[in-house]
Amino acid sequence: MQPITLQFYQIVVVGIALFMIYTGTQKFLSRGAGQSLLKLLVRIVVWGGMAAVALFPEFTDVLAKLIGLEGNINAVILVGFLLVFLMIFKILSVVERIEQDITRTVRRESLDQFQGRKK
Amino acid sequence: MKAVYIVIPAYDEEKLIGQVVQDVAKEGFTSIIVVDDGSSDTTSQAAQSAGAIVIRHRINRGKGAATRTGIEAAVQLGADIVVTMDGDGQHSPKDIHAVIQPIMENKYEVVLGSRQISKGAMPSHKIVHNKIANTITLLYSGIRVQDSQSGFRAYSRHACTLLDTTSDSYEYESEIIRLIAAHKLSYVEAPISTLYTDYSTSKLHKQDISNGIRTVYKMLWKALS
Repeated sequence: MQPITLQFYQIVVVGIALFMIYTGTQKFLSRGAGQSLLKLLVRIVVWGGMAAVALFPEFTDVLAKLIGLEGNINAVILVGFLLVFLMIFKILSVVERIEQDITRTVRRESLDQFQGRKK
Repeated sequence: MKAVYIVIPAYDEEKLIGQVVQDVAKEGFTSIIVVDDGSSDTTSQAAQSAGAIVIRHRINRGKGAATRTGIEAAVQLGADIVVTMDGDGQHSPKDIHAVIQPIMENKYEVVLGSRQISKGAMPSHKIVHNKIANTITLLYSGIRVQDSQSGFRAYSRHACTLLDTTSDSYEYESEIIRLIAAHKLSYVEAPISTLYTDYSTSKLHKQDISNGIRTVYKMLWKALS
């Protein structure tokens, strides 16, 4: 049996993935704010998938054949898509935060006016 | 005697809000807060004329945002129990007694009004909508309830101070269930009747089509982000 040799990047990716899955599971089990089974499952699938790809790079060949992706140019396009999705995610996060800020401001003003009317 | 406040979020409800406030008062609950969520009609005036305390949002922020504003006002006014109900007349004020009873007896912190979800009792498109929403709420919160989208609920003062919601729209109802789980609040479901008038059904239908997908998307978004 041949000894398993891991590249540096594989150790780093697997380490980060295990850490993220561990913290997610811990938060879910302690019923932390905003935690749900769906969120935990997504975390396991995403980080588990990254660890699996890092440990078994040949898995991407199977995946590429499965979804019909072949060649470097396709990989570049795929990375481009991922970046666009990441940007959309970030923009939506900002929009959501602004929406919440607006609501807080409107609520504060309404309650202040209400308090003023009471006096 | 515990102080019970009724919170009614309302948006462009001038036709019915006055009647809803009067019907609630007839049941013996006179501390009624109507949150006018930036209506373009005379909802505020109609509610005030009927005897409600009116708080007005300068701009429309959604049912969830208006409900939370009302709950905060009720807590400031010294409420021991806060009941939330819709302003379109679909909820029967007679059911208020049933939803506050478990909190009056100090048995539960939250009571979730639960509509009868069956053919004949509820429009068929609403049944489908509810089943999908209940499943997503189960995934989102870990709690299985019969009616995750009912706005007819009662909260103890303690629960009100813990339920720090951020949802502005219809995903608010599911977020409440998630927070019940997160804070380990005791809860029970109480059966309520629902009046599906032409008016309330037209509003519900509008909500289903225009907001259903957005609500699911926002719930998933909050779960993942």
